[in-house]
Amino acid sequence: MTRAALVAALALGVIVAGLAGAAGAAKPGGTLRMVFVSDPPTLDPAHASDLTSSAVIRQVFDALLELDDKLVPAPALAERWMVSADHRTYTFHLRRGAKFHNGREVRAADVKYSFERAARGKRPWVFEKLVGAPEFIKGAAAEISGVRVIDDATIELRLERPFAPFLHLVAYDAASIVPREEVDKRGAGFASHPVGTGAFRFVSWRRDDQVVLERFPEHFRGPAHLERVVFRVIPAEATRFNEYVTGQLDVTDIPTGRCRAVQADPKLKADVAIWPTLGTSALRFNVERAPFSDVRVRRAIAHAIDPTIIVDRLLEGCVTPAPGIVPPVLAGWTATARRVPLDRERARSLLAEAGFPSGRGLGPLAYHFNTSDANQRIAELIQAQLKEIGVTLELRRLDWAAHIKLVDDGSAGFFRQGWIADYPDPENFLTVLFHSRNVGAPGNTSRYRNPAVDRLLDEADTMPSGAPRMKRYQEAEQMILDDAVWISLYFYASRGLIKPHVKGLERSAQSTAPEFLAPLRKVWLER
Amino acid sequence: MVLGVTVLVFALNAAALGDPARAAMGQRADPETLERLRREYALDRPLPVQYATWLARLARADLGESFREQRPVREVIVERLPATARLALAATLVSVVFGVGIGAIAAVRARSTLDHVLMGLAVLGISTPVFWLGLMLALVFSVTLGWLPVSGYGDGALRNLVLPAVTLGALHMGTVARMTRSSLLEVVRQDFMATARAKGLSEWTVLGKHALRNALVPVVTVIGIGLADLLVGAPLTETVFAWPGVGRLLVAAVGQRDLPVVMGAVLVFALVYVLGNLLVDLAYLVIDPRMRDAVRA
Repeated sequence: MTRAALVAALALGVIVAGLAGAAGAAKPGGTLRMVFVSDPPTLDPAHASDLTSSAVIRQVFDALLELDDKLVPAPALAERWMVSADHRTYTFHLRRGAKFHNGREVRAADVKYSFERAARGKRPWVFEKLVGAPEFIKGAAAEISGVRVIDDATIELRLERPFAPFLHLVAYDAASIVPREEVDKRGAGFASHPVGTGAFRFVSWRRDDQVVLERFPEHFRGPAHLERVVFRVIPAEATRFNEYVTGQLDVTDIPTGRCRAVQADPKLKADVAIWPTLGTSALRFNVERAPFSDVRVRRAIAHAIDPTIIVDRLLEGCVTPAPGIVPPVLAGWTATARRVPLDRERARSLLAEAGFPSGRGLGPLAYHFNTSDANQRIAELIQAQLKEIGVTLELRRLDWAAHIKLVDDGSAGFFRQGWIADYPDPENFLTVLFHSRNVGAPGNTSRYRNPAVDRLLDEADTMPSGAPRMKRYQEAEQMILDDAVWISLYFYASRGLIKPHVKGLERSAQSTAPEFLAPLRKVWLER
Repeated sequence: MVLGVTVLVFALNAAALGDPARAAMGQRADPETLERLRREYALDRPLPVQYATWLARLARADLGESFREQRPVREVIVERLPATARLALAATLVSVVFGVGIGAIAAVRARSTLDHVLMGLAVLGISTPVFWLGLMLALVFSVTLGWLPVSGYGDGALRNLVLPAVTLGALHMGTVARMTRSSLLEVVRQDFMATARAKGLSEWTVLGKHALRNALVPVVTVIGIGLADLLVGAPLTETVFAWPGVGRLLVAAVGQRDLPVVMGAVLVFALVYVLGNLLVDLAYLVIDPRMRDAVRA
């Protein structure tokens, strides 16, 4: 055996032993203590619209499919599925013996009931691709005709037109399966006492204090390792950190402005967990409002902004500057887009061309952002950067409810807006945020209407997955960036502290924070 | 007064930007769902009609339904009220016991170093921001010493109540201490105090039985006024200590433009303030016999 082969064999041995050790170490029992910033408004999948609610819902309920750690759709309540040649009909075969927490077996009729119930909830867009869904959502039809029960264990979903990320929608928590009898019995109380099929069942919820779940021994995958999961609700960042330091939490977020400090702290550095996620922070223009209706003004501003300073100085290098709109962490996506480069000379000449030499005649421009320390500091930095080309920025800070209203109704001309992917597909960034049919609250708050971009997006949305589809999205992304309706700042990252004894917590790109999305049935405590 | 407060809150909420239906929808919202929610929340009606509807419901003891939680506001508030009541009572106890104690000692040792130190502490208590004090107490007693929990309700355990109560109580303790001291100093100059001493009573009996009782009338007034401090401080204290009370509920409801909850919580606070001051008025009758005589006359 050569020396290289020996080293390789030893290395392989170490890896195999490590894996075996890791697998063998999955001990049952214990309570995982996680934390939320705010109380979930609801635990009913039909009425949730926020990440906190979804974080609990994903543990209590199952959907037909789930996303694995690479965000690929995988079997959940459906053990297999078939797709028709025209990519419009999906037939799902349910797993036999999967039970709700009340002991009843899941049937195909539950899927139809759950989908129709949720379609009239807060996230109807999850179901709107199904044949007959738009009419049902408006109340003009008694059922979604595209959802058909074949038999107790088979359900067929038919789409109006092909939609490549459809399986991601089926795996979304809004499409969780609920038992009709429990919804009927509890009425509105179902939101406070959910009954699903998930690996954990609901125990208690003291509002603004904690949600407690316990493992469901009859889960179709077998019982989870953890005995209990407690989600505490702690609004103050410093308090969450203190609870973590004193050992009362197993997982928490990294306090604002302390990303480098915790990485340098000998007691905490081993706990730091930072990974890229599917979200982008950006500045947007309402292209219907002067002076932002002039592409030269928009491009001048884009040329003057340097996101690397924001990332390095304000966000301590714990996120990455964003050259494009779609994060490169998206599976199958090759990031080709290039933002308008930093070039203040070019910015000045564009302003002069637009009739505002050195910013004269432009007046103070209002920049709107929602309240947070980080947003305030970013706004001040952008204000300073634009000052260099003669543009004066007036900062308008409002809470989220007021900010989103101004943004949605078109009153804000220049504003901060980020986007966190609902599901991992470029359609969820580009079509939702820039297609002319989504102007306003549905996502296109830039009020951007570009027929060429619309055409590319329409084509890509209905194409099967693959390189030609991605190419269209890439072209559209570059056109949008060149039109400077959106200035990417940075890609989001999940930044957390996780105790070393917590094992098996998936770090998915969809998890904007450690407590979100990760299937806790895979977690165990090593102590 | 209480109704005036509700009119004011309703008007302020209407003047504030923000749409409860949109705030409930997360990062994306389709126009039809928004319209449906606005209809469900009765936001499509004129403002006076919305207020009149709320008032009519109130007459039937119905506070409406929370936009955010989709359940009756009464239920939402009632489940948080015990936590806030416990905190407010404990904080009042802290402020009264320590405030009166510190004020009495300072009065007895007037113009001594101890007096200056105690009054310095009282000023510090009044001027220290609740948020900062809460965090500092947690750092010392929870993180460093490990004696008390950092935060949380902890199934109602007394040890979870200590730090929030001290934090909230400190806000008012200083005022009570200063008022007790000045009131006692005023009383000890009265003639009846000389008579009490001439009867041969001990100094502590003179102070405890004669001076303090007479000095308590203005102190009780301050305690009544201090209810407002408690109500203002409750949201911050509850936030720092993750205490599941009405104060935190109110803060979250304002952020979400959950008007029925905002109105309900403000109504509760206004009622507590009014009832608290009524209790103070009744306390005068117990403390001061002259007032009982005035009422009889």
